[in-house]
Amino acid sequence: MARKKLARIGRYKIVGELGRGAMGVVYKAEDPNLDRVVALKTILLSDDAEGRKDYHKRFFLEAKAAGKLTHPHIVTTYDFGEEDDLAYLAMELLEGDDLRTRMKEGPLAVADSVDIAQQVADGLGFAHERGVVHRDIKPGNIMLLPRGQAKIMDFGIARMRSDDFKTSTGIVMGTPRFMSPEQVAGEPVDQRSDIFSLGVVLYEMLTGTALFAGEDTPQIAHNVTNLEHVPPSRLNPEVPSMLDFAVARALKKDPAVRYQDAYEFAVDLRTCLAELRSRETAEKKEANGGTRTIKIDTTVERAPLAPAARSIVSDTQLPLSRQFDSFGALQRLSSQSRRDRKILASAPRPVKFLRRVSLDAGPRLLFLTSLVAAAAGVYIALG
Amino acid sequence: METSGKQSGSPVALASVAFLKIHEFVRRPVTEQARLRAQLEAVVAVTAAELDPASRVLLDAADGVAVVVLGDPIGTLRLAERALSAATAGLPLSAGINFGAVQLAGSGKGDEGLLGDGIAVAANVAEFAAPSALLVSRSFRDALADAQPGLEAQMLTAGTFTDSGLRTHELFAPDHRIPRRRRRRFVAASAAAAVLFVGAGVGARIQADGQERFMKAVQAKYRDAAAQGRSYVQGLVAKVKF
Repeated sequence: MARKKLARIGRYKIVGELGRGAMGVVYKAEDPNLDRVVALKTILLSDDAEGRKDYHKRFFLEAKAAGKLTHPHIVTTYDFGEEDDLAYLAMELLEGDDLRTRMKEGPLAVADSVDIAQQVADGLGFAHERGVVHRDIKPGNIMLLPRGQAKIMDFGIARMRSDDFKTSTGIVMGTPRFMSPEQVAGEPVDQRSDIFSLGVVLYEMLTGTALFAGEDTPQIAHNVTNLEHVPPSRLNPEVPSMLDFAVARALKKDPAVRYQDAYEFAVDLRTCLAELRSRETAEKKEANGGTRTIKIDTTVERAPLAPAARSIVSDTQLPLSRQFDSFGALQRLSSQSRRDRKILASAPRPVKFLRRVSLDAGPRLLFLTSLVAAAAGVYIALG
Repeated sequence: METSGKQSGSPVALASVAFLKIHEFVRRPVTEQARLRAQLEAVVAVTAAELDPASRVLLDAADGVAVVVLGDPIGTLRLAERALSAATAGLPLSAGINFGAVQLAGSGKGDEGLLGDGIAVAANVAEFAAPSALLVSRSFRDALADAQPGLEAQMLTAGTFTDSGLRTHELFAPDHRIPRRRRRRFVAASAAAAVLFVGAGVGARIQADGQERFMKAVQAKYRDAAAQGRSYVQGLVAKVKF
């Protein structure tokens, strides 16, 4: 990386070092032409001539696409270029922390989490409209500014990483824990992959748990593909049920039933946010009125996740509905009386002739009419 | 999907299961999902109120509700039909009913639920049903026949379908015009049987006595009855009364 202390890269005068990452070093630099302070992200180019050519081509293509994205929730790219064995990007310099650092400090409030996610969804929607997919949405790529504004970083260059995750089908770009199932499988990805990744980020903000944790990359990849999440409200009772629906939709394994559009996700998140804010206001009013806060008992074990009709098989357990009391029937099922044993264990009996004519009105009419008519016929015949 | 162990010692019971599924639930916007879910719960609260609370268990599914009814197939059918009528109020439901095995599951620490083939087939049937349609399985039709013979006749064959476990299910759909048609058919068959038996008696008599003698005997009886101040038919009825 920075093998010697750099004073200048391109036209930019290096002021200091901001950080080091997998791709290279990020410097604080000054643009003398515009008298503007920027963040200068450098990427070390490959020594191999052919690899370098390919890398160079991809870098400029991606940086060009990212440079077109000017949006309040995307870090703006001002300029890009190449000098010696370094490619560089001059970007907006932001004061703040990334979301990963913020999450390490402690749990985020539900409303704050939703607010961050909806801002990121807005930014993604804007980029997706212009045909740019991020491919590596994760807390480390979301910058939080002091006034609560969230900005997506590394647009376009996220896919230039050198430590890409490798599968049997090829190289996959991104961070496995936040990848979509199609990305993990090495299949072509589109905007819906970013939506899945944002769903994972939101889930982790809401619950404070790693959704697709695993000991190693293959295990994480397996979890991303197969593990169904527990609704966030089951882990954090403050999460409204509507947010459960939004997260569930963003985390659909099949991209066809996921949100198709990040704006759509953003709209739903805004609705959730409005609900949360109004709830907060109501709670404040109640608190001022002197009402007591009741602590919810969380010692009860987590109820199982309710599956959809399509995925229910014989050994799929459906949880009891929380809206209805089924205690009486459950008692009957668990400790069956002799009468219940008879009722609940008997298969339907076939309806035979006598039951049919005694209980079914139509056949009974036919039977009785035939009987009377036959008697009359016999009487007439015998005089 | 979460599968769970059955509760040890919990017996298997046979029950009717009505699965009410919100059509195309996963594809709808989240705000609509929340609205439809609340609407479904309201509908189920009203319709399930007709059932004895000790004979029904309500279970949650991601896109609907399963109502397990112990020993009341007629009530189960009525519940599903009433719930489907809510479709007119903007709740896009489809329903599937099956009669089959269910069993208690869970550790008994707040994670209780039910599992079983009865629920799985009902869910599959509901998945197969078109919006606002109710389909029932052959086993439920048999249970309905057992509970009230003749009621199964209102179930019209609606085809077969193969579930994810490659089992083929014969399906039926209720048609409320069928009972009236069936009643008319039985009335017509009864009338035909009456004509046939009485006609056969008349035919046998004519063959034995000859047509002229038979007609004279009938006319004589008619005159006797008239002389006694009553109709011929009243006379016949008096004879039948012995």
